[in-house]
Amino acid sequence: MTSKLPAAGLALATLLAGGAAQADRTLTVYTYESFVSEWGPGPGIEEAFEARCGDCELEFVALPGGVDILQRLRLEGEGTAADLVLGLDMNLMAEARALDLLAPHGVDTRPLALPIDWDDDTFLPYDWGHFAFVYDTEQLATPPGSFEELLEAPEDVQVILQDPRTSITGQGLMLWIKHLYGERAPEIWDRLDERVLAVTNGWSQAYFSLFMNGEAPMVLSYATSPAYHMGVEGTDRYQAAHFEEGHYLQVETAAMVANTEVPALARDFLAFVLTPDFQRHIPLGNVMNPAIDLGDELPEVFGRLIEPKSLTFTPEQVRAHRREWIREWLNAVAR
Amino acid sequence: MAERRGPVTPVSRWATLSRWPLGWGLAAFTAVVGLGLGSLGALLWQARGLHPAMLWEEPWLAAVLRFTLWQASLSTLLSIGLAVPVALALARRPRFPGRHLLLRAMELSLVIPSLIALFGLVAVHGRRGWAAPLRDWLGALPEDYLYGLSGIVLAHVFYNLPLAARLMLQALEEAPAAQWRLAGQLGLTRVALWRALEWPRLAPLVPRLAALVFTLCFTSFAIVMTLGGGPNSSTLEVALYQAMKFDHDLALAALLALTQLTICLSLWLLALSRGGTPRLAVSGRPGRPPGRWWRRDAGGLSRFTDSLWLAGLAALLLPPLVAVLVAGIVGLPELPQGASLAPAALRSLVMALGAGLGALALAVALLAGSQWLRASRRPFEALVMEGGGQLILVIPALVLGTGLFLLLRPRLGSGWEGYALVVLVNAFMALPFAMQVVRGALPGLSAPEQRLADQFGVRGRARVRWLIWPRLRRPLALALAYAMTLSLGDFSVIALFGSPSAPTLPMLLFQQLGGYRWQGAAATAMLLLALVALVFALLDRLTRRPPRHAWTFLPPRERRDARLS
Repeated sequence: MTSKLPAAGLALATLLAGGAAQADRTLTVYTYESFVSEWGPGPGIEEAFEARCGDCELEFVALPGGVDILQRLRLEGEGTAADLVLGLDMNLMAEARALDLLAPHGVDTRPLALPIDWDDDTFLPYDWGHFAFVYDTEQLATPPGSFEELLEAPEDVQVILQDPRTSITGQGLMLWIKHLYGERAPEIWDRLDERVLAVTNGWSQAYFSLFMNGEAPMVLSYATSPAYHMGVEGTDRYQAAHFEEGHYLQVETAAMVANTEVPALARDFLAFVLTPDFQRHIPLGNVMNPAIDLGDELPEVFGRLIEPKSLTFTPEQVRAHRREWIREWLNAVAR
Repeated sequence: MAERRGPVTPVSRWATLSRWPLGWGLAAFTAVVGLGLGSLGALLWQARGLHPAMLWEEPWLAAVLRFTLWQASLSTLLSIGLAVPVALALARRPRFPGRHLLLRAMELSLVIPSLIALFGLVAVHGRRGWAAPLRDWLGALPEDYLYGLSGIVLAHVFYNLPLAARLMLQALEEAPAAQWRLAGQLGLTRVALWRALEWPRLAPLVPRLAALVFTLCFTSFAIVMTLGGGPNSSTLEVALYQAMKFDHDLALAALLALTQLTICLSLWLLALSRGGTPRLAVSGRPGRPPGRWWRRDAGGLSRFTDSLWLAGLAALLLPPLVAVLVAGIVGLPELPQGASLAPAALRSLVMALGAGLGALALAVALLAGSQWLRASRRPFEALVMEGGGQLILVIPALVLGTGLFLLLRPRLGSGWEGYALVVLVNAFMALPFAMQVVRGALPGLSAPEQRLADQFGVRGRARVRWLIWPRLRRPLALALAYAMTLSLGDFSVIALFGSPSAPTLPMLLFQQLGGYRWQGAAATAMLLLALVALVFALLDRLTRRPPRHAWTFLPPRERRDARLS
């Protein structure tokens, strides 16, 4: 019995260590949970990058979401273990920049194919998508074509939202409405409240627990969500509603940490981000639009997605007003 | 080990107590309170400018506080109030088809990750759920009763009623056999049984359970948000999350955490002081299978009402679990093809075992310490020591995690430390539950037994082995099962620290959800539930065999006689 203990201990150690052998040139990347999953883009990207750089190793540390990456960076400060952060979206950029921990990417951004111009020298986009209301065609034959139509829709057209205080998509909707309606936003929130079935804390709760259970015909998600249903599940049942006035845009970015011990490797990785070897994992892996033109490699279903007009605030505007807008939302819907 | 002295007179009984329990208790107390207050302190230290006035000046914050108190009180009242008849019915009916299954399901409900529970609840009670035809037929319920206060309370009762009933049942079953035998012989009526046997067993438990359930509902997060239907119904925890994550307003976060701490902790102190000291009843034989004695109140009307209560419990508990199972079975083919599943499950189990054992050790140390203090007539100190164990429950996980992070600044690159930290925090978070379970069984030796043991010089190791361990092994197993499975299903702690490349089972589940893999996620959820059930069943089986010593053994003849009486 006792003789088995060391062996068991060893087995345990390898199990817990997850086989993370330390190479001399390890690039530690903070990213979010779904990016590194085995069906996400992470594994393919890791393989492609390690094949490219020779003796290096790419190590992902997964946090629940972009906000958590920022939070971790802020807590760790100068001593952060990250060499690179992947997953801060446009709305977090200004706050991340203010930490003074990130360095310029130095990558030629001409290959970028975003719906907006991009001239930021710290944050390098790797994918993008519009927020949108995804609807179930079996419950809703004709979706609303604008916010106004959604607000005026019959009573049974209910939507599932996410809370802007805890969810990126929820915050996206808040910015979307603020962008469209400005001063009138509280009034719109108040009217929208009539249509709302639930406001969940996260996207997963809304999509999985409620929408997939058929609780409401519409859910706040991404315009690219139908690509997954069409491309992987092979069903056309779920589609995104196209609002004529435009949709708020989300751009996800990568950035390198200034005092990384492997700056050359980090720069190599950033240059790799805008190559097809990285980007081909994005469309069906991350269910977002690739940041460059993939040509024939773009899955056919992406051609069938809506192509709305893009709305954005600058990162600085978001940083300056977010708390005030959240309060405005709270006071509009809380009674 | 205890020093050996000569036979003792009853007067100086406490003087002979070994000091070991106190030492261990103090060590555990220091660890728990140090960790809890330390992390809060770290946060306060980082935060600048605390403005307590915000609490009542900010209208939405005041509204949130009011709503939190209201829904938590309502949920507690219903959970505890309904758990009493359910536990009584279960105790009265030791044998009916499906009893075992029902008990297992009751144990499951507490430890289900809220995401899975929500899926099950929505599948059953949602607007298009399984219960929809029944709801339409009855016509009394609105279509969306799952959303709003009613839904929140329903979900909280779903979580907490089974927990409360399970612990009450355990207390009832711990009643000495002699009492039941006597009750059977005297032919006590239902009311008399309640007054003489049942209520005295439950009474010390109820305040603690109420405090536990209240705290759980008070700090509930995902359920309140998802089913609440908007920011009107949210808990302080949501505001705290926002302050901490999005705004990085540590001062507000610390203020909210302190508010939560103050409210819940004062409730706990009240509950603990009301709970009273353990009664000095003549303790019976441990490991007695329940309900061997004929009960006069088992026939007649109570046969009908008991069935009603048990059917009600089954109707509350089983359909959402079945919904998860059905979705899981449908999703089985969608499980990850890669080799990640089995290692993830194994990793989760190993970590859960570590956390479970840690929680158990802490719980026993704290309870033994507080018992020692009580025995040496220091009830207040005893109360504080016991209350210390509940501290973790009222400190939001986010505060605990962030505070710890500020204190330790772990580097997660090298797997080990990250996992160890997760195990540690999970052990602390499971502690309050482990304590609830063990506590019910810890009144320990009665005064006469203690005197007898002292006179015979049964002390130290022998006393633990022959007198204490046999009574504790089953509650300990149940406590371990709760602690293990709580960590098994926990995602929040890992989420706080970030996960290295190798996922645990709940992480796998969240990854699947984040990647639209609903069916695979449902299958993973089902596997998680199966693992939880397995842990409970295994620990139950391991401790079911009565311990090997002569005087717990009831000769068959005596059993027969007892039933005939």
